[in-house]
Amino acid sequence: MAALKEEEVISLAEFAVKYALDKGTNEAEAFAYEGLTTTVAIERGQIAKSSRIIDRGLGIRTVVNKALGFSYTNMIAKTAIKEAVSKALKAAKASKPDKDWQGFPTRKSFAQVKDTFDKAICELSPEDLVKIASLMLEACERTDKRVFPVEGGAGASYLARAIANSNGIAGFDYGTIIECSLATIAQESGEVTPICFEFNAERLYKIDPEKVGAEAARQAASALKAKRVETKSMNVIFAHFALQQLLYYTLMEAVKADYVQRGQSALQDKLGEKVASEIVTIYDDGLLEGGLRTWKFDGEGVPQQKTPIIEKGVLRSYLYDNYTAKKEGKESTGNAFRAGYLSTPRIEVTNFRIVPWEKSPEELIGGIEEGLLVYSVQGAHSSNPASGEFSVVATPAWKIENGKVAHAVKGAMIAGNIFDVLRNVSALANNERKVWQLVTPWVHVENVKVIGK
Amino acid sequence: MLKDILDKIIEMAVQKFGAEYAEARVQTLFKTMLTVKEKNVEAAKEGIENGVALRVLVNGAWGFASVGSFNVEVLADAVSHACKMAKAASLKLKAPIKLAEGKAIEDRVLVKPKKNPSRVPVEDKIRITLSIAKNVLEYDNRVKSCTVDYLDLVGTNYFMNSEGTYIEQDKLYVWSRVLATAKERDVYTFSREEVGSTSGYEVFDVETPEAVGERVAKRAVDQLKAKPPKGGSFPVVLGPNVVGVFVHEAFGHLAEADLTLSGSVLMDKIGKKVASEVVTIYDDGTIEGAFGSFKYDDEGVTAQKTLLVKDGVVVGLMHNRETAKKFNTQPTGNARAEDFRVEPIIRMRNTFMAPRDYSLEELIEDIKFGYYFKSFRGGQANLDGTFQVGIQEGYEIVKGEIGEPVRNASISGNTLETLHKVDAVGRDFELWPGRCGKGQTAFVCDGGPHVRVLEVIVGGSA
Repeated sequence: MAALKEEEVISLAEFAVKYALDKGTNEAEAFAYEGLTTTVAIERGQIAKSSRIIDRGLGIRTVVNKALGFSYTNMIAKTAIKEAVSKALKAAKASKPDKDWQGFPTRKSFAQVKDTFDKAICELSPEDLVKIASLMLEACERTDKRVFPVEGGAGASYLARAIANSNGIAGFDYGTIIECSLATIAQESGEVTPICFEFNAERLYKIDPEKVGAEAARQAASALKAKRVETKSMNVIFAHFALQQLLYYTLMEAVKADYVQRGQSALQDKLGEKVASEIVTIYDDGLLEGGLRTWKFDGEGVPQQKTPIIEKGVLRSYLYDNYTAKKEGKESTGNAFRAGYLSTPRIEVTNFRIVPWEKSPEELIGGIEEGLLVYSVQGAHSSNPASGEFSVVATPAWKIENGKVAHAVKGAMIAGNIFDVLRNVSALANNERKVWQLVTPWVHVENVKVIGK
Repeated sequence: MLKDILDKIIEMAVQKFGAEYAEARVQTLFKTMLTVKEKNVEAAKEGIENGVALRVLVNGAWGFASVGSFNVEVLADAVSHACKMAKAASLKLKAPIKLAEGKAIEDRVLVKPKKNPSRVPVEDKIRITLSIAKNVLEYDNRVKSCTVDYLDLVGTNYFMNSEGTYIEQDKLYVWSRVLATAKERDVYTFSREEVGSTSGYEVFDVETPEAVGERVAKRAVDQLKAKPPKGGSFPVVLGPNVVGVFVHEAFGHLAEADLTLSGSVLMDKIGKKVASEVVTIYDDGTIEGAFGSFKYDDEGVTAQKTLLVKDGVVVGLMHNRETAKKFNTQPTGNARAEDFRVEPIIRMRNTFMAPRDYSLEELIEDIKFGYYFKSFRGGQANLDGTFQVGIQEGYEIVKGEIGEPVRNASISGNTLETLHKVDAVGRDFELWPGRCGKGQTAFVCDGGPHVRVLEVIVGGSA
């Protein structure tokens, strides 16, 4: 099934808005979404599954006397849209006025973005994806015989979004994503490693499946012969995935304006204050070239932008959607996020970028007498989002001794507070990469509590 | 008629495209959602999600297509796509997929709620959610925020396969989650509760806004004076809520046959002792009204009560038809798909440890120093058996008595080592609703009695 055309999607969104206004809503906004995804899945060592998922729909927000109603339909047709509008209206009328509601955003020119669409991705056949997945699988198998590729695959998506509201916003944007991933374990004389994982996702058709396969295998093989460590505070290098997991449930929550306004953020009242080591600079960059979350406009039709969060350790800004911004008399930072057509917008980071440094990963390890290299953590979602406190298992992780990776580690927990972690950052590597919404290099943190045996 | 259309599509898959097996899963669903933040209704939301999932087995490989349409031409196109996808996937196949034999079933499953959420006006749902938030916020002025999410979904699933099964099954879920934060000086605390049922809106007659609100708020406030736990190995007593998440996360996932086959530590342990003999674990899809219950799974297999561990010995796994074939056993009715967009995978239902004979006092009285962990914040496990469970409500145990509260604790260890260290199991029993993520979200329950564990690693910052 071919993708819907730009004019077609915009006109459906505009139709929904107009119909809602005709039906007596004070304000209306429609967000249309289309996702066409083809995947090939690896399960237990082989490619045995492929799927094609077509998901489209339209979500409509209506406002009646400052009370909001929302409805959606996954049937993109005028009758279904009319029904959704009526449901949204009925919901708005049943709901309660929100005194802080100050209207939908007004029209601004959309941002310019680069490297977000690649026609080559749309043209990939399932056979092409099978080829990508086998390259990855074969590279894994070649690397180490003790490694078993548990699951993974390759996927190609075309994503499109349109927005229209009663303030005259009307827009369309589209893009592509291609990814491949592989999860592995290694087994040797009764020992099973934890799951190791590698992936590569890009907006343009330039992924390296062989590198992913080989790296997933290397990790699993080197996670064998794991030993316990002592309980003590030590240097920790957090690698890409570990940072993504830890920050997603802590810092990325704490910088959201609704958390701040509602007293749920330890960063409340800290603008202009030092909250991190001075080598830490973080931007939320909605315009990052080829960024996995780069779009011309956010889920409310506000242009995405680059917002400084922390500069040289000093907290500069929170992230806003239209509602939380207007509450403070500010402008939205373009961080209204939508999960397709199914939800109302909520604040989310776009491409949360920790600015790298010039040190190589080897130099980072080389500078540590005793410490841990943590690739992934388990249990980050049980962090306390309000305080930033976490208590997680480091797995897979490796012990660093005298500037070298000595052995794999098992059963080590790390506990602390994300804001202490940020203050104790003593070096950053130059190996920046995109891990979903985070763009980061490895980060060296001093004095992290490690609980071993 | 929908049934005739499905017949035609299944026939196409088999006759025209050479599928060994084909199934169509139709979803008609109506959802109501609310989010309340403090005293504001963020938006009242209603939505329709209708669509069809087509899954076929061609040349021993799976093909899958999903579309949001009941139009016969669209479905014919989708089924041809699904078969093409399967053929592409079979190119590099090493071991063709086979399915355990299925019984042809024809059935119509109706839900009979006392209060059908689709007949409850949205105004009433707003009143209940606002009332929960009010109870939380008015409990104590140190409570700073409260978010209440409400969701109900009502609809019918239609399942047809090429082996003669045709099932129409009503679906009903009512769910709510309450989050609260409290603050005093620089201390932030956080508390969460969930309510969930497949019986009907009447769940709020038991889980009243007052009861739920107080539970959430009290915990957030009590945690303010809590101290961080000591890090290290300690004896612990786990409450039913924590036992539930432990049984689900630390053990249950390893016993999902797809993950067992992937190399989980249970792979070579079937029929062997993996826990102390006081440990018996079930995954049960048949508990009436429980959040993880249903009559048929998404492969048309009857849900059953599955014994996983009996007196410390692994006796069963959770299967779909594919893994059941591999293990030369019967499917257990654990194949579940979140919606029509995704394919069914092996998921838990209501997972619990069976009670024995101890009282809470007896479990605690011999512990000189340890912890009592009453309620969890989250948990996660790994195939190698490493688990982590974050604790949102915990206390010290000092000289056989429950002492001061501790905050942001978490426990970790190796599942099998820890199960061997369970030395006493209580006689009480609770089942808690929750949601499990495995790429897709599934509604489940977890639970058990109070349990004593001789030694577990407590992650603390003190």
